Amino acid sequence: MSVGLEDYLAVSGLLFAIGFFGVLLRRNTLIIYMGLELMLNASTLALVAFSRYNNTMDGNVFVFFIITVAAAEVAVGLAIIVALFRKRQTIQVDQHNALRN
Amino acid sequence: MTDILFYVFATITVASALLVVLNPNAVNAAVFLIVTFLGMAALFVLLEAYFLAVLQVLVYAGAVVVLFLFIVMLLDVKGGRRRSFQPVTAVASILALALMVGAGVLAFSSRNLPPVESPEQASGSSLKAFGEQLFTTYLLPMQVTGFLLLVAMIGVIILSKQVRPVGRGN
Amino acid sequence: MQPANLALITLFAPLVAAAINGLFLRRRGVAAAALSVLAAGTSLVAGLTLILTAEPFSVSASWLSLGGFHLELGLLFNSLSALMLFVVVVVGFIIHVFSLGYMSDDPCRGRFFAGMSLFMFSMIGVTLADNLFLLFVFWEMVGLSSYLLISFYFEKPSAVAAGNKAFIVNRVGDFGFLLGIIWVYWTYGTMSITEVTHLADSGLVKTGIGLLIFCGAVGKSGQIPLHVWLPDAMEGPTPVSALIHAATMVAAGIYLLCRVGAIMTGEALTVIIWIGVATALYAGFCALPQKDIKKILAYSTISQLGYMVAAFGLGAKLALVGGDAHGVHAAVNGGVAAAMFHLTTHAFFKALLFLGAGSIIHACHHEQNIFNMGGLARKMPVTFAAFTVGLLALVGIPPLAGFWSKDAILALAYESNTLIFWLLVFGALLTGAYMTRLWVVAFLGQPKSGKAENAHENGWVITLPLIVLAIGAALAGFRGLYPEAFSGVLNAVPHPEEGLGMIIGAGIAAGAIGILGAWFFYRPGAMQDNLQRSAPAVYRFLAARLWFDEVYGWYVAKVQQRLAQLLSFLEQVFVSGLLVRGAAGMVGLVGLGTRALHTGSIHGYVYWFFFGLVALWLLSIGL
Repeated sequence: MSVGLEDYLAVSGLLFAIGFFGVLLRRNTLIIYMGLELMLNASTLALVAFSRYNNTMDGNVFVFFIITVAAAEVAVGLAIIVALFRKRQTIQVDQHNALRN
Repeated sequence: MTDILFYVFATITVASALLVVLNPNAVNAAVFLIVTFLGMAALFVLLEAYFLAVLQVLVYAGAVVVLFLFIVMLLDVKGGRRRSFQPVTAVASILALALMVGAGVLAFSSRNLPPVESPEQASGSSLKAFGEQLFTTYLLPMQVTGFLLLVAMIGVIILSKQVRPVGRGN
Repeated sequence: MQPANLALITLFAPLVAAAINGLFLRRRGVAAAALSVLAAGTSLVAGLTLILTAEPFSVSASWLSLGGFHLELGLLFNSLSALMLFVVVVVGFIIHVFSLGYMSDDPCRGRFFAGMSLFMFSMIGVTLADNLFLLFVFWEMVGLSSYLLISFYFEKPSAVAAGNKAFIVNRVGDFGFLLGIIWVYWTYGTMSITEVTHLADSGLVKTGIGLLIFCGAVGKSGQIPLHVWLPDAMEGPTPVSALIHAATMVAAGIYLLCRVGAIMTGEALTVIIWIGVATALYAGFCALPQKDIKKILAYSTISQLGYMVAAFGLGAKLALVGGDAHGVHAAVNGGVAAAMFHLTTHAFFKALLFLGAGSIIHACHHEQNIFNMGGLARKMPVTFAAFTVGLLALVGIPPLAGFWSKDAILALAYESNTLIFWLLVFGALLTGAYMTRLWVVAFLGQPKSGKAENAHENGWVITLPLIVLAIGAALAGFRGLYPEAFSGVLNAVPHPEEGLGMIIGAGIAAGAIGILGAWFFYRPGAMQDNLQRSAPAVYRFLAARLWFDEVYGWYVAKVQQRLAQLLSFLEQVFVSGLLVRGAAGMVGLVGLGTRALHTGSIHGYVYWFFFGLVALWLLSIGL
C-alpha cells in the first residue's frame, strides 16, 4: 500500500513516545537529554511530513529554525550539566533532589 | 520503491531510537543516536526536503552528538548501579503509556482527518525556495536566531567557566 | 463674640482643664483644683453670656459620611438647653468652689478635679448636642466620669463595687437608648433632634422607639427598675454626690425626655407616668429607714426624679390629648416645662442639701450616720440655717422654690388623673417625713458622739456656696426673676386656675403633716431609730426596699453567670477552636499536602508534566 501522511505521523509519534519514555525511565542525565533530542526530532519529522503533504514551505522553514535552536539548546544544556556535575559529582538524576519538600 | 525505502529507514530509525533509550552505556547510546539521526535524514530525503536532510546530518549528527560524546567522555561516568525494581515506577510508566496510546487512538480515530493525497510533484522545497522564504517572510526569526546563537555561546562560556578562588600571586 | 464660639468655649474649657489635670497635675492638688475652678468659672461666664445675649441657634458640621449614613457634630441652643445649661454651669461652679474646701485634705485631689472637669465637659455636651448620636456619646462620657468619681476612693472595695454597679446599670439603660437611636435612624433616617421631634406617626414603632429612649432616662435618672445604683453611688465624695447624683447627671435623663419629648406616643407616656409615680413613692418609702445622711438624700433625689418624670408624662399626655391651655406653646408643652422647672429648683435645693451634708460630714470628720450626730444646730449655725432652707424648699413650703415647681406638677396631676394626684400628694407627705426625721435627729438634741461633739463650722470656702445656694433655693421659684432666655420654657409652666386652692392646699397640708408627724415621732438627737425600736417588722420591711438588689444579685449570679459560662464554652469550642484554629489548621494541612508534592525527583515532575499535558490536550479537543 502506498505510504501516506499517516505513516510518517505514526513514525513521528513512535519516536516521540520512545524519547518520552527515555526521559521518564532513565537516571543518567545525558541519556535523558538524548531522549529530549529524540522528541525534538520526532516533531521535526511531523512538521516536514505536513509541509510536504500540504505543499507549503512553512513547515520546512520551521524545522530549519528548530534545528538551529535545538543545537544551541544542546550546547547550553550540556554546559549546565557540566556545571551541575562539578557541584554534585554525580549525574544521576535521582540524586539531584535538593529541592525535596 | 519509495515505500520499501520508507519502511526500511523507518524501522532503522525506530530500532536505533529504542536502543538509545535502553542502553546502559552512554557512549553506545550516543552512537545509536547518530544512527537514528541518519535514519531521520533519509526520511527527510524521502519527503523531498533535501536541504533539511543535509542540515540534519551536518548539525545534529555532526555537531550535537559529537558534543554529547565530548561531555560523556569529560564526565567519565561509571554505569549506574542497578536500582531495585520499584512498583511505583512500573505503575506510573504503564499509566503514562496507556495515556499516550489512548491519546493517540483518540486523535486518530474519533477525529476525521481530511484525506490527504500526495501531491504530484514537489512544490519546490529547493534551496532557492528556502532562501526566498528565509530572507523575506521569515527574516525576523532568522535574525533573532542569529542573536540567539550568540547569546547561547556567551552563556556556555560563562557556565562552564571554573570558579577559581581569587588569591594572591595566582 | 459669635454665639457658637461662646458655646464652644463653654464646652471645651473644662475639657482642657481635665486633660491638663489628668496628664500633668495628678500630684499637684492645689494647681489642679485651681485650674478646675478656673475652667468652671470660664464655663460659667461664657455660659451666662451665651444665655443672656444669644438668640436660639443651631450649628452643625459634618463629621462622617459613609454612603448614605451621615454623622454631624452640632450644637442646638434653644430655651430648653439654655435653662439646662444655666443649671449646669451655675451649680457646677458653686460645687467646684465647695470642693476646694472639702477636698483640701485629700492627697488625690488632682484626680478628683480631673474627673470633675471631665464631667462638666460631658454634661455641657449632653446639654448642647444637636443629634441623638452625639448626645449618646456625651451621655456615655457622663457615665464614665460618674464611674471614675464614684470609685474615687478606689482602695475601698465598696466604692469600686459601687462604681461598677453604677456603670453596669447605666449600661443596661443605655443599651435600650442605643436601640432606640438605631431604630429611629432605621425607620426615619435621621438622628437630628430637631427632626426627631417632628416625626410622622407610625403607631407601635414610634411607641417602641419612645420607650427605648426612655430606657436611657430610666438608667441615668434612677427610675424603677434601674434605680439601684444611685444609693450606692454615695460612696463617692460628697461634692460628686451633689453635682452628679443630685443636680445634673441624673437630671440628664429628664433633659433627654424634654429634648425629644415630642416622639412619645400616648401609650409610651402612660408607661412613663406610672414609672415616675411608682418611683416617687417607692423612693420616699425607702428613705424612711435610712441611717446614712447621704443615702437619705439619695433616695430623696430618686423620689424627686420620679416626680419630674411623672410631670413630663402627665403634661405631654395632656398636650397630646389636646385642647388644653398648657399645650399651647409649640415646642414646649406643660409637661416639659413643669419637669424642667422642677429640675431647676431641685438642682438648687438638692445641691444645697448635699453640700450641707458635706459640710456636716467634713465637720464631723467623715461621720455619716445621723444617729451619731445631734446637736449640730448649735455647733454649725450657718449650715443649719442653709440646710433648713433647703429642707423647706424640698418639702414644698411657700414661698421657697420647691413649692412652685411641685405645685405645677400637682396641677398637671390634678388635671389628668385623681388617683395620681393623691399619690403624688402622699409622696409630698413622705418627703416631709423623712427630711424632718433627718433634721430632727442630726441637728437637734444633744451630740451623740465625740465627733459630733467636736464639730464646728467650716471655713468660708464651704459655707459661702451654701449661702449662695440657699438664696437660690429661696428665690428659684419666682419665674419672673429668670432671664428672658428661659421664657420659652418657663412660660409654659402650668398654672392652674380652677382647683388652685385644692392643689396648693393639698400640697402644703401633706408636707406639713409629714413634718409634724416626724417631729413628734422621732426624738431629737436620738441614738436609735424610733421606728426600728417600736415597730421593727415595719422597719425591716421598709429597709428591704422591695428586695431589688437581692433579685438582681440572684439574677446575675445564677442566670447571667451561667449563661456567660455557657457562651464562653461555646466560644472556646466553636469560634476559637473550630473556626479560628480550624481555619489555620486547614491552611496548614493544605500547605503540608502541597509540600509533599515536592519530591525533588525530576522523574516525578516529568510525570506530572505529562499528565497535565494530556489534560490540556483533552481539554483542547473539547472533551
